[in-house]
Amino acid sequence: MDAFLAGMGILVDPYMLFLVFAGTLLGIIVGALPGISGSTTTALLLPLTITMPPTGALAFLGSIYCAANFGGSITAILINAPGDPSASATAFDGYPMAARGEAGKALGISAISSAIGGIFSVFVLIVAAPLLARAAYNFGPPEYFALAVFGLSMVAAIGGDSPTRNLLSAAFGVLLATVGLDLTTGVERFTFGIYALSDGIEFIPVLIGLFAMAELLEQAAHGNVVKEYIKLSAVKLPSLADFRKCAKAIILSSGIGTFIGTLPALGATTAAMICYNESRRWSKHKLEFGRGAIEGVAGPEAANNAAVGGAMVPTLALGIPGSATTAIILVGLIVQGVRPGPHLFNEQPTLLYVVFASMLAANLLYLVLGLGAAKLFARVTLIPPAYLWPGVFVLSVVGAYAPNQSMFDVGTMLVFGVLGLLFRRFGFSPAPLIMGLVLGRMVEETFKQSLLIFDQNWLLFLSRPIVVLLFALTILGLSAPALAHGWRRLRAR
Amino acid sequence: MTRKITDHRSLALTRRAFAAGAAATTALAWSPLRAQEKFPSKTIEVVTHAGVGGGTDITARMMMVHAPGVFKTELAVVNKVGGSGGAALAYANSRPRDGYTIMLITQTHLLTMIQGKAPVKYAEIVALARATDDPQVLMAGKNSPYKTAKDFLEAGKKKSMKYGATQLGGVDHLAVLGFAKKAGQEKPTVVPFRGGGDIVINVVGGNVDVGILNYAEADSQIKSGDVRPLLVLAPKRLGPLPDVPCSKDLGLDASYSTVRGFVTLKGVPEENLKALEEGLVKAMKGKMYASYIESSGQSPDSVVGRKEWQAQLDAFYNEGAEALKSIGLLK
Repeated sequence: MDAFLAGMGILVDPYMLFLVFAGTLLGIIVGALPGISGSTTTALLLPLTITMPPTGALAFLGSIYCAANFGGSITAILINAPGDPSASATAFDGYPMAARGEAGKALGISAISSAIGGIFSVFVLIVAAPLLARAAYNFGPPEYFALAVFGLSMVAAIGGDSPTRNLLSAAFGVLLATVGLDLTTGVERFTFGIYALSDGIEFIPVLIGLFAMAELLEQAAHGNVVKEYIKLSAVKLPSLADFRKCAKAIILSSGIGTFIGTLPALGATTAAMICYNESRRWSKHKLEFGRGAIEGVAGPEAANNAAVGGAMVPTLALGIPGSATTAIILVGLIVQGVRPGPHLFNEQPTLLYVVFASMLAANLLYLVLGLGAAKLFARVTLIPPAYLWPGVFVLSVVGAYAPNQSMFDVGTMLVFGVLGLLFRRFGFSPAPLIMGLVLGRMVEETFKQSLLIFDQNWLLFLSRPIVVLLFALTILGLSAPALAHGWRRLRAR
Repeated sequence: MTRKITDHRSLALTRRAFAAGAAATTALAWSPLRAQEKFPSKTIEVVTHAGVGGGTDITARMMMVHAPGVFKTELAVVNKVGGSGGAALAYANSRPRDGYTIMLITQTHLLTMIQGKAPVKYAEIVALARATDDPQVLMAGKNSPYKTAKDFLEAGKKKSMKYGATQLGGVDHLAVLGFAKKAGQEKPTVVPFRGGGDIVINVVGGNVDVGILNYAEADSQIKSGDVRPLLVLAPKRLGPLPDVPCSKDLGLDASYSTVRGFVTLKGVPEENLKALEEGLVKAMKGKMYASYIESSGQSPDSVVGRKEWQAQLDAFYNEGAEALKSIGLLK
């Protein structure tokens, strides 16, 4: 209890509050900039935190991490360029909402769902960290394989309205995922001797290209048309009815997001994608999805912020990072001489409560900033296209270049920008492609790892309870439309 | 407030821009005349194959905490990710050989050169100083039937053991093959994972018999009792694991470790090499670097000069070539 009070004490300590505030504001800003993600920023600022006390460094990095996930939704909604990979699902419905003049509403619901998801996950972190972390050990390659199959089984449903096109798009994503050094054979595939391809196609430039660049090219085609931009008068915060509509998506996504966050290797991006699907699956307004459904913003935003708290669970409880950003935070802790792990809960409880307190504070702070300044952020869309899109172009190039300082990645971004434009012209959705790219590699690697573990005996997959459960869910999900159809026909008789 | 934050960002960007600018300027200004000046008199670039925040990147940045004071000049990390070190080697190869470009390399770079995937031949690598020498440790989960190294070695003679390791054809893989051969284990199965954290989980979860890991990768699981270290693959026991036998204790001549060290390319004048070696060693004897080494469970004698480091590189190069041939990745 003393440790708890000491930890919460940072909320009245001016220096700590300053660090949390600085981290949050910085997080929102970098989160909003396409390509510059929370992980890039924490990595760049890591040397700075060495001079801080461990508690301060943790509060600062934790706040950036929390706020960046919210910040990403701002640009996803306003200019269809996810500021952070985790916000890519937010763009599916956030941008259509903004396009029909509901930017303020989309931003408002994003801020509130993010905060709810984030705060929920922090409470889960506080209460269940030691217990929850145990689940990580039960997740081996076979379980990840089943999870990835489950994820892939959903691609036909996301994005545009043509399941066939979605499947094609996803298949292309899976194909792209095969590029690079094959983990299980040590052989390079489809790299053509280009170094930059040996670790596979970089995720960030693909994302910036498909979303930001493609949008820019699309807009350029309408250059001569006097286009009416989203008016400021249309900015309105969401109503009580909107919240009621989203309640289910937010609650569901907070739970699923936290759980996915706790799994190592699966972070906010996967959580947001899966929760977008789940929000749609459980919604009464399925047809609105992809056309500006408010639940389609609430779900992934609650999920990606819930995943933050979730990802901190294995990081602090096991010393195993649950995402790229937590990997950097982990390094920051180790540099400070603090080694996260199960013993940390006994040895340094105060430090843990400082993390909890600062994450709570950051979640509340960006809620205030997000709601209070939603109108200010919404003004981004009032910038004349002649200034806005060149600005987006610059940010896209910088964003693609920054993580690896590689011109090749800039080229990748441009190629995928053109591809994204073609996708739009022929009625394909980029979302299944991204799902395929993310999950394709996982399916292949975990399958081969599983076979090595099972001595090449396929049947042993069925000896693992979690695998069986996930397979059952997959089969249920795939056959649900047919079953529902049959049920309706039966009733009609 | 906003202003302050913006400054942070622009500072980060300007520093990078400055480094790039400085690099460009120095490339233009370079001439044999300038090389006669006192070395070093301008920014030294440290090329790594790791991205920002990666293990090798951190090692480079830790060395750089004290280095500017020692060298009386700035240092800048250049991250050239890709091609298992190939991109970093290609970049270094494109720079003048004056000592202002140094590389922090691992065994991975050597394997890349052995396979001819880099524009640089091994003969051109000149050792400067070793930065870390992190012995590999075989570890089992707490529910594993193998309580001691002897249990494991005995059992391994009868059945094929599953080793959790990183990438196939990589350093870990070769270590497993080398070790198994010396320990009389036939046909070990290597299950490749993406990183140390992944291996630890699968060791605890019982998906593999043992994992081949560095001490720091499983530190917290060892302390909590979830992971049981069996054998240190080194001629000496590890400081933080005084009760765990090393291979010499069991009469095995098997040492495998993750090594990082600084090198440059052939053609740098001898006095510059000397200045670099002395400066790097001095910088890595600093307090910050020492505590970094210690916190990752390594001994302070990780840091050695170029003679010892070159010998280790040579040995690894020769062994690596043979090992790659034996698994068919090299013809």
